[in-house]
Amino acid sequence: MVRTYRPQSFQEALEIKKGAPVITIAGGTDLMVKRRRSTGLSPYFEVPAMFIAHLGEIKGVRFDGGNIRIGAACSFAVLLQNEATPPILKTAVSRIASPAVRNMGTIGGNICNASPAGDTLPVLYARDASVVLKSIDQERILKISEFITAPGETVLREDELLKEIVIPEKPFDVNFYRKVGTGMTNTISKITFTGIAEILNGMVKDIRITFGAVAPTVVRSRVNEERLIGHSGKEIEKMIPEISSLYSALINPIDDQRSNAFYRRSVSLRLLGHFLRALPGC
Amino acid sequence: MGDYINIGRSVRKIDALSLATGADKFTDDYEIHDPLYIAILYSPVAHAEIKQIDVSAAEKVRGVVDVLYYGNVQRVLHTTAGQGYPEPSPYDALLFDRRVRFVGDRVALAAAETREAAIEAVKKIEVKYRDLEPLFDMEKAMDESAPRIHVDDEYTKIPAEYRPEQNLAAEIKIGFGDLERGFNEADFIEEQSYRMHYASHCAIEPHTSCAYFDDRGRLVIVTATQVPFHVRRIVSTVLDIPVMMIRVIKPRIGGGFGGKQEVILEPLVALVAWRNKRPAKVVMSRKEVFISSRTRHPMRVRLKTGVKRDGRISAIEMDCLMNTGAYGTHALTVLANAGGKVLPLFNKIENLKFHGRSVYTNLPVGGAYRGYGATQGYFAFNQHMDIIARRTDQDITDFFKRWHIREGETSAVFKALGEGKEGVSQVINSCKLDECIDRGAGAIGWHGKRGKRIESGRNRVKGMGMAIAMQGSGIPGIDMAAASMKMNDDGSFNLYVGATDIGTGSDTILAQIAAEVLKIPVEMIIVLSSDTDLTPFDTGAYASSTTYISGGAVEKCAEDIKNQLLDTASVMLKAEKDSLKLDAGKVIDKKTGKKVPYDKIAYHTLYIQDQFQIQAQASCTASESPPPFIAQFAEVDVDRSTGKAEVVKFVSAVDCGQPVNPVLAEGQVEGAVVNGLSYALCEDYIFNSKGRMVNPRFWDYKIYTAADIPEIITIVVNSFEKSGPFGVKSVGEIGINGPAPAVANAIFDAVGVRMYETPMTPEKVWKRMKEEGVN
Ligand SMILES: Cc1cc2nc3c(=O)[nH]c(=O)nc-3n(C[C@H](O)[C@H](O)[C@H](O)COP(=O)(O)OP(=O)(O)OC[C@H]3O[C@@H](n4cnc5c(N)ncnc54)[C@H](O)[C@@H]3O)c2cc1C
Repeated sequence: MVRTYRPQSFQEALEIKKGAPVITIAGGTDLMVKRRRSTGLSPYFEVPAMFIAHLGEIKGVRFDGGNIRIGAACSFAVLLQNEATPPILKTAVSRIASPAVRNMGTIGGNICNASPAGDTLPVLYARDASVVLKSIDQERILKISEFITAPGETVLREDELLKEIVIPEKPFDVNFYRKVGTGMTNTISKITFTGIAEILNGMVKDIRITFGAVAPTVVRSRVNEERLIGHSGKEIEKMIPEISSLYSALINPIDDQRSNAFYRRSVSLRLLGHFLRALPGC
Repeated sequence: MGDYINIGRSVRKIDALSLATGADKFTDDYEIHDPLYIAILYSPVAHAEIKQIDVSAAEKVRGVVDVLYYGNVQRVLHTTAGQGYPEPSPYDALLFDRRVRFVGDRVALAAAETREAAIEAVKKIEVKYRDLEPLFDMEKAMDESAPRIHVDDEYTKIPAEYRPEQNLAAEIKIGFGDLERGFNEADFIEEQSYRMHYASHCAIEPHTSCAYFDDRGRLVIVTATQVPFHVRRIVSTVLDIPVMMIRVIKPRIGGGFGGKQEVILEPLVALVAWRNKRPAKVVMSRKEVFISSRTRHPMRVRLKTGVKRDGRISAIEMDCLMNTGAYGTHALTVLANAGGKVLPLFNKIENLKFHGRSVYTNLPVGGAYRGYGATQGYFAFNQHMDIIARRTDQDITDFFKRWHIREGETSAVFKALGEGKEGVSQVINSCKLDECIDRGAGAIGWHGKRGKRIESGRNRVKGMGMAIAMQGSGIPGIDMAAASMKMNDDGSFNLYVGATDIGTGSDTILAQIAAEVLKIPVEMIIVLSSDTDLTPFDTGAYASSTTYISGGAVEKCAEDIKNQLLDTASVMLKAEKDSLKLDAGKVIDKKTGKKVPYDKIAYHTLYIQDQFQIQAQASCTASESPPPFIAQFAEVDVDRSTGKAEVVKFVSAVDCGQPVNPVLAEGQVEGAVVNGLSYALCEDYIFNSKGRMVNPRFWDYKIYTAADIPEIITIVVNSFEKSGPFGVKSVGEIGINGPAPAVANAIFDAVGVRMYETPMTPEKVWKRMKEEGVN
């Protein structure tokens, strides 16, 4: 039998965390799969489990003085319905899993699971999102790129919970997201590509480019992005070969049961080309 | 064709409500008292000799009752293929062997009081393997230097080419005419090889079996099977338990598709139950189904054709190499069907050669799978014909209409290629393939879209492809089905059939056939099927045989009942039998208008005069196997930036004779289309260099979900097959033959690359586009 906790408040959840080792369960859509056993046997938990998905304090999405704050236990289904959710995040979320899993799975779970194929991550990286980590004793705010260190690894401490995700509010004129997977639903990404840009007077004022599932963690390079800033679509079109080879050096895809490195690399760069060519003025 | 009250009507499946409410039982729902749970140990290596096996630690696990392996189980060579007897598949398998031949081969089992204990116990079985060189490449299987996979006393029950010393599980050679001359006469030669890959049936219910004893100590096996009578026979042989001591019950089944035509688990539950005198139960996990049950045989088909400028084919050579995996289940017959169900379609070719070989490898075991070799053959055939039609500047629909077999025609291939023995010659009684092609082309908008490369969104381009196919209806001279009926007091009838409803709806359509003969609503027929104690014999649900052959038995049986009804009514009504007819549950005297309802007749025979029960039984075999025909069309969008081929619309037009139940017939075609598209585009067995499947789960072995399914249109083109009951032919398998080649032809139409190999994943399309420089 598994011992379980069902705290009444986020505060109580933090107290339980402080007290003894527990596994945090939000939607359980990663955990239950990881801990599954043979047909007919229930999943195995070596330490007690604590449910948090019912905690209202960490379930909402709201605007807050120039930021969008998303509660860690906010499910994908809620994200899709809420008008504060950035459209590009909605696009990414709409391609995650299937309706049933989107009702259970949470954005916090997606982040803490830290899979190279976690589909909210490339968008969150592109939007400079931060994570708010809470323990009984302190609160830390980290950039998402600092929070996730390797596949499945984060700097989350034993007594901490992810409380919320903070995304600076900022309008982007171009929002391009593509997920390449085998099926239309319940499909783990072979590749995702996210490109967003702010255009002013025909020039790129800001641009963000991320690649998912083609390296141990999300690929983003501010240096490369800065090369594009200040250029017009026409100029950028000429820069595509050069920019492609810069990114080619950064992405490091693998061969696995879902795809192969050749495909991942060449299609990623192809999508990059499409995005750059689609910038206004091209 | 008559004025039917049941045939051709989409009555509700008789088990629809009980299935929907969860009242009807699948094997795992049977509550058997205090069973032993079985867990199985599978080989982690592809080819090895077991040097040593130590089960002592496993036996010590709490709750473990029995641990079985080659050391304590009798050695009886058999085949797991549930086919007619003697089976055409070689006898090359044991329950447990000293040698393991693929990753997933059975090594041992543990039976315990709980599932946990059984699983724990198999983990504690210590096995030392002596690795043998594995054989993974079927093309090298017959090389002199290839490792030999079967080295003992394996044999075949039937006279057939079988040379295990060369890893040859089956070989077939037939031909007629003068191939050489045919090629010489040709204006050009078109020669290509096409490859189809491994696939799992993916029945949502995994293989499940349980066994218990009745009050008199007979063994009752409840099992998810397509072949209850073959189960009884094979269990009896392998365990040396008399047939009369075994009863097999088939409950509701969650899909078969050929995967449950194999007798895999039943001997194990029977053995554990028999040895321990206790009920036993085993349920496969999805992983076990993937690695250890059966698969679609991978096949390489080389087609060489000599072609005249006008498209006439002067010679055809079909050379098939099939990978049967570690055991030869269906190795001969699937191979035979790759030619036998394909080549007769173009019956005007005068010079023909078919050469097929099935070879052993150290990979998963092939088996029966919907389409049964025809699918592999048609993938090659339809692409090849698309190539020829294009080279001779014709629309493929015109090309097909010009050359396909027609009513009143025959093909020498029918006789030459049977299933395990020579085939039977037959003349086509019914063929509405032209109408299928025309109506299918109309429904998809063929002529407006083909060859146009319409842009369908950013970097997406549209292509159109089509394919035609035929199948059979049962195996002539081999399949047999029987039915019996009896009449009850209220004028209802019990119908007992051996036929095996595996979710297909055969219980319903057999009731429709009986009800049609007797002119009563289907509700008046109570169906009991597939119980070896209670129902008559039937070879089982395979080879697209149930509607045609089991249906034939039911029709005959009901005709006998009808005759008895008329006899009794003529006494009761004091009327000439000739002037009587059945109408809506009554017998009516056409002359006088006098009538007697069935319940009165039953009452009369059971209680009043010359008492007897109206009852009958009948058996049916077939002397021919009338092919259904199909034309299938795919509209595919290819994404040039990712190589992804997305089917947006798929049309099938099928001639299955008279459909008994149009909705169920359409359901069979739709199911086959989804099955076939999923196989063509995303399902894949991925092996590592050691022959281990690395994706044995739905997470990574992708099958179509609702969101992937395109718009599907199915047109049932009625025809009348005079040899079948009420004009029926089969419909269960044929629909899977077209999706892969139709999609491949559509991809070519869109981007100009030929996909010679399945699955046509984005990675492969992308690679081909790069190779051909179109990207
Ligand atoms: C069928 C299926 C399809 C899927 N498809 C996709 C897909 O397309 N794309 C994709 O990205 N993912 C997919 N997933 C994975 C999964 O649904 C997501 O990663 C989801 O976001 C996980 O959220 P959860 O709430 O269910 O996490 P859980 O399983 O509850 O938790 C995941 C991990 O995060 C930790 N955790 C959760 N919340 C917190 C918190 N607030 N503080 C600290 N730690 C926390 C847990 O302890 C655990 O280690 C799929 C899963 C399934 C079963």
